[in-house]
Amino acid sequence: MKKTLTTLLILIVSISLVACGGGSAPAPAAPAESAPEAAPAAPANDAPAAPAEGGQWKAGFITQAMSNESQAFSWREFQRLAPEYGFTMNMWSGETGPQDEVAGIEQAIAEGYDAIFVNPSSIESIIPALMQAKEAGLIVGMFSSELPEEHQNLRDFFCGSDDFQGGQQAGEFVVTHFPDGASFVEVGGQAGHDAQIKRHDGFRAGIAGSNIVELDSQNVPGPWPTNEAMAIMEDFLVRHGDAINIVFCHWDNGASGVIEAIENSGRKANADDGIFVIGVDGNRTGYAQVRAGTQALSVGQSFTNMAKQSLENAKTMLEGGTVPAVNFIPLDMVTLGSIDSFVEPDW
Amino acid sequence: MTDQLRLKSFNLGKFVIEYLVFIAIVLLVIITAIVEPRFLSAENFTNLMRQFGPLSFVALGMTFIIVGGFIDLSVPGMISLVAIISLSLVDTIGEIPAILVGLALGAAMGCLNGTILIISGASTQAKALFITFGMSQVYGALALIHTDGTSMNRNLLEHEMPLTRVLGSGMLGPLSVSFVVFLFFLTVLYIFQTRTFLGRSINYTGGNIVAAELSGIPTKRIMILIYAICGFMAAVSAVVLFSRVSVTTPTVGMNYERDAIMAVVVGGTSLLGGRGNVLRTVLGVSLVVLMSNCMNLMGVQSHLQEVVRGAILVIAIWLDHRRQ
Repeated sequence: MKKTLTTLLILIVSISLVACGGGSAPAPAAPAESAPEAAPAAPANDAPAAPAEGGQWKAGFITQAMSNESQAFSWREFQRLAPEYGFTMNMWSGETGPQDEVAGIEQAIAEGYDAIFVNPSSIESIIPALMQAKEAGLIVGMFSSELPEEHQNLRDFFCGSDDFQGGQQAGEFVVTHFPDGASFVEVGGQAGHDAQIKRHDGFRAGIAGSNIVELDSQNVPGPWPTNEAMAIMEDFLVRHGDAINIVFCHWDNGASGVIEAIENSGRKANADDGIFVIGVDGNRTGYAQVRAGTQALSVGQSFTNMAKQSLENAKTMLEGGTVPAVNFIPLDMVTLGSIDSFVEPDW
Repeated sequence: MTDQLRLKSFNLGKFVIEYLVFIAIVLLVIITAIVEPRFLSAENFTNLMRQFGPLSFVALGMTFIIVGGFIDLSVPGMISLVAIISLSLVDTIGEIPAILVGLALGAAMGCLNGTILIISGASTQAKALFITFGMSQVYGALALIHTDGTSMNRNLLEHEMPLTRVLGSGMLGPLSVSFVVFLFFLTVLYIFQTRTFLGRSINYTGGNIVAAELSGIPTKRIMILIYAICGFMAAVSAVVLFSRVSVTTPTVGMNYERDAIMAVVVGGTSLLGGRGNVLRTVLGVSLVVLMSNCMNLMGVQSHLQEVVRGAILVIAIWLDHRRQ
C-alpha cells in the first residue's frame, strides 16, 4: 500500500514538473533521468544509479533492458553482491536501443572503470564499443549473452547459462517422457533474439533421432509478451486440436499464457493426462506452475550465480589471476519431483 | 456513353477506397477458410472474440483522440501502470475496489495528458506526439519502479479474483464476456459521439480547431475530455488484459499504441482529424485481429507478420491521403 502511494506521489510530482516546465515546445520528463536513484531497477540510460559505498574497484553493468525482469533481477543481485567482492557498480540499460549500451560503455571507459559486464540487445552493434573498452584496458565480461566466435577476443570471459543446452535438456527430457513418440508445438521467444534462436536449435538437437514430431512453431514479435504467447497457443489449438501432446515455450511467463489458453479450450495442462508444458527461466511463475502441476518442467537459469561468477572472475583478474574464458552456470531442471531441492527464486 | 462509363469506373474506385478494409476482411476470411477450414470453427470464433479484447478498448479511446485532431502515444505507459497498480492493490483493498482505482487512475492520467498539452501550448498533432511519448515513458518507468522490474502473477495473490476470471475467460451464451463489455462501451461511445453536442464537437474541433473556437466550442475542454476518454479506455484495456493473462509484466502495454493507431486509421478515420467514428474503428480492429489470427493459422512466421502489419499501416495512410 505504502509503495502504491509512493508511486502515485511520484507520478503527481513528475507530472507537475512536466507541466511547470511547459512552454511552446514539448518538454516531456524523461523518467530515466529522475528515477534511478529512488529505484535502481528503473531504466537508467543516461544517469546510472548511485554506486554502493566502500568498493575499491568500479564495475559497470551494461544490459539490454530493465523492462526485462531477469535483467532487473540481475542488476539487483549485482548491487547486493558487489561490496562482497570489493566493487562499486553502476548500470546502463539499452531501453531505447543499442546506442544507449554503446554510450554506457563509452562512459565507463571515460570514467576509468575497471570492469564491465555486458548483456547487449544487439551483439553486432556493440562490437566497436567493446574494442574501445579492450584498448582502454577494461576487463570485459559477457553476461548471459556470448559473442560470436570471431569476436571472442574482445571479451575476457563469459558467464551465463547455455541457451542451446537449455533447449537441448528440454528436448532430452521430452524424449525420456515420450519414448514412443509424440507431437509438439513451439511458442518461441522474441523473434531473432539470441536466446530464442539457441533454445529453438537446442530443442531440435535434444529430440534428434527420436519420434518426437514438430507440428508448428511460432515466435512472438515483441519482448517476450505473455498475451502474445497465449494468442499463438489459442491459434495452435484451433489448427492442431488434440494432436498436440507437448508445448515447448521459451519462457515461463509465456508458459502461463499457454496454460491459460489450454485450460480455456477445455483441455488440461498436466504432465500425466493432459498437454505437457515446458518452460524456460525458473522464475517465480515457473515454480508456481510446476508446483500446481500445470507445467511439467521449468529449465531454470540462476542469475544470482551468473552475477556472482562475473564478480569473482573480475576480482581474480584484477588481482593478477586468470579465469576460464567460458563459465557456464548449470541449469536447473525444475520438476514436481525436484522442485524442493532448489532455492525458490524471487523474480 | 463514354461519360457514363467514366462515371461508373470513378464510382468503383471511390467504393474501393471507401470500403477497402471491408473488402480486405472478406477476402482474408475466404482465403483463410479455404487454406485452414478450422478457421470457421466455434473454438476459433471464441478465440477471436477474446483476442479482440484489449486492443478494441484502446482503439475506441484512440478514435476520439484522432478524430479530435491529436494523437496519444502514452497508451503503453498508461496500460502498464494501471495494470500494475490495480493488481498490487488487490490484496489490500479487494478486487473490485482495485479495479475501480485503476479505472480512475486511467481517466486521471488522460486528464493530465490533456492538461499538460494545454499548458504546453500544444495545439498540433506533432507536438502532442512528443509530449504523450514522454508521458508514456513516465508512466512506464513508474510501473517498473513499482515492481522493481518484476512481473505480477494474479494466481499468486492471496485474494481471489472471481470477476477477473469471468472477464478473462467467461462466456455469456455464444459471446465472450469481454466481447459483451466491448459491445456495451461501443454502444455508449457511439451514442455519445453521434447524438450529443459534446460528441459532435470533437469532430468539429478535429476538423478545424480555429473555426471550432470561433463558433464557441470549448476546445480546451474538448482536449481534456478526449484524453480522459482515451486514458479511461486504456485502463479498461489494462483490466481486460490482466483478466486474460495471469502474468502481468510492467511493460504489458507495449505496442498497443501502434496497433490502436493502425486499427483507427485502417478503419477509415482520418489522421488529420474531424472525420471518423467508433464503428469504423471496429472494422479496423477486426482487420488487425483477424490478420494476426489468420496468419498464425496459415503458419506465417512472425517476421513476415510484422512486414504485413507495417505494409497495411502504410496502405491505410495512403488511402487516408487519397480520401482527402
